[in-house]
Amino acid sequence: MRRRDLLKLTFTAAPILLLPASSALPQRKRYAMLIDVERCYGCMACVAACAAENNVPIGVFRTWVERYVRKDGNVVFVPKQCNHCENPPCVKPCPTGATFKREDGLVLINDEICIGCGACIQACPYGARFPNPVKGVADKCTFCEHRLANGLLPACVEACPTTARIFGDLNDSESEISKIVESSNVQVLKVWAHTEPKIYYKSLPTEADL
Amino acid sequence: MSLSAPLFPNELAEPILWHPVIFAYALVISGADLIILASLAYISRRMMKAIPLLLVLGVSFFSAALLGPLADLRQPSRASLIYSLAHLFPTATNPGFSFIALYANLWLLLLILSIAFLLIYQSYPMHLKSLEGGRLKSLYKVFSLGVSDGERYRRLASLITVIAILTIIPAVLWGVYPSVLLVFQTWIFLWRSWVILPVIFFADTFVASTAAALLVYFIIKLGKLDQEVVSPLLKIHSAGCVSVTGLLGVQLLLWNQWFEESALYPAFNVVVPIIYFVIATLLLSFLLALASLKVPRLSIIVSIVALVGVVMNKWNTLVNGQLISRTGMGLFDLHLPTDWLLTTISPIAAAILIFVILSSLFPLEVKEVGK
Repeated sequence: MRRRDLLKLTFTAAPILLLPASSALPQRKRYAMLIDVERCYGCMACVAACAAENNVPIGVFRTWVERYVRKDGNVVFVPKQCNHCENPPCVKPCPTGATFKREDGLVLINDEICIGCGACIQACPYGARFPNPVKGVADKCTFCEHRLANGLLPACVEACPTTARIFGDLNDSESEISKIVESSNVQVLKVWAHTEPKIYYKSLPTEADL
Repeated sequence: MSLSAPLFPNELAEPILWHPVIFAYALVISGADLIILASLAYISRRMMKAIPLLLVLGVSFFSAALLGPLADLRQPSRASLIYSLAHLFPTATNPGFSFIALYANLWLLLLILSIAFLLIYQSYPMHLKSLEGGRLKSLYKVFSLGVSDGERYRRLASLITVIAILTIIPAVLWGVYPSVLLVFQTWIFLWRSWVILPVIFFADTFVASTAAALLVYFIIKLGKLDQEVVSPLLKIHSAGCVSVTGLLGVQLLLWNQWFEESALYPAFNVVVPIIYFVIATLLLSFLLALASLKVPRLSIIVSIVALVGVVMNKWNTLVNGQLISRTGMGLFDLHLPTDWLLTTISPIAAAILIFVILSSLFPLEVKEVGK
């Protein structure tokens, strides 16, 4: 390469290199889920879909639905699962780093290096983790990351007949979840635990926040 | 609105996630406190006669310490990953650090230091033992580390002092384990509300370690006890008993203050009656220890009573603590795995076996120390 060509290339490339990283790279995703409690009627389709999609053993749950009875006799159903916290208390005690937080906010488990010590299970304030009796490692909701990689929604979201579960990218201002979280009054579980959950609720009964 | 689901379903599947073997583990950890006592005795040149016993017993117990959690792993074949992939420093994907990884590494460090302490401390006594002859003469010679005269041994005193000082920090940190893990890195309702648990554990392991030392000393001496060995151990034991009972009382008052009006208060009934029992037992051990200063042979009762209190306290904290739901609103029934007793006894049995082997090699009374 001649010196003149090199200088030309340098001056052409410089403005591109000086661009802020955010405009040069695609925006990072931040996955979250919104659960509208008023729309859930406790059909357990999400629980069944999750168990089938992820081969969850009998007796343990990646997602479950809690039932509360109002004084007037009306029943409220509250689906729960891993909150994929921004500040996940389960990641810290993991001795081998098997539990980790991905760039898109998903809190996942590397089955290959989990030693099954149970520290992460004891550290989760939401009871969302469990020892998988078949695999002998910690287990929990993954937001169906294998489906997300193929452009699909989590199984529980797809199975919900009343669209009580809405899933999306919080960093995409055009996404439905972003608009609802921005515009309406949403709640999270155990605010006092400072975990910054990414499962948001609409119309959450106070009693469900144990 | 009434509540119909106060428990998390995954908790119901296996409420006692950390099996009773963790409780045996907490007892074996008292080896760390025996090492602290041996180190302090060497540095301060007090209780010199008790050092060999404290050191051999401490190394034996502490070397078996990790067998407990190893037995509790669902993937024990991957245990070495705690060292090769230790989560000790925060990164973007793995924020924070793991107490389990930290303590596994500290265990190795403390084990190496305490074995070095034991070997160098026992070098000249082992030389003297090799001179007595016998079938293991050549083995004793190896353990003498080439120290064949008193002058050379005296020159090693400063090195032993440095090692003794170095062992104190990891041993003190081990003295509060696993309480720091329970309080700071779990979300079990009882443990999160037991804020002074690390201090209680630290004092409690002194009670357990001195009780174990007194018991072993009584057995090996067949009741012919040396006041110079027994008295300091009894004094430390008494201080430990008073500290634990006081701290348990403070914790009961704190719970009363914080939760008396709350719907969560009934959950504490799982642990509170046993705490009263532990307080009574340790106070009895304290009173017996005072009497034992005059009548040393009573020390065996002191140690047995204290060990009953310590065992109850650990069981109460570690096993009963897990019976309270994460929500604090519900209680589980105690269902233990069928082989729990054998698994629980194994680490303690391993520690005793190591002690038997080490005590047959190293003398538990060293006459030449400090001379």
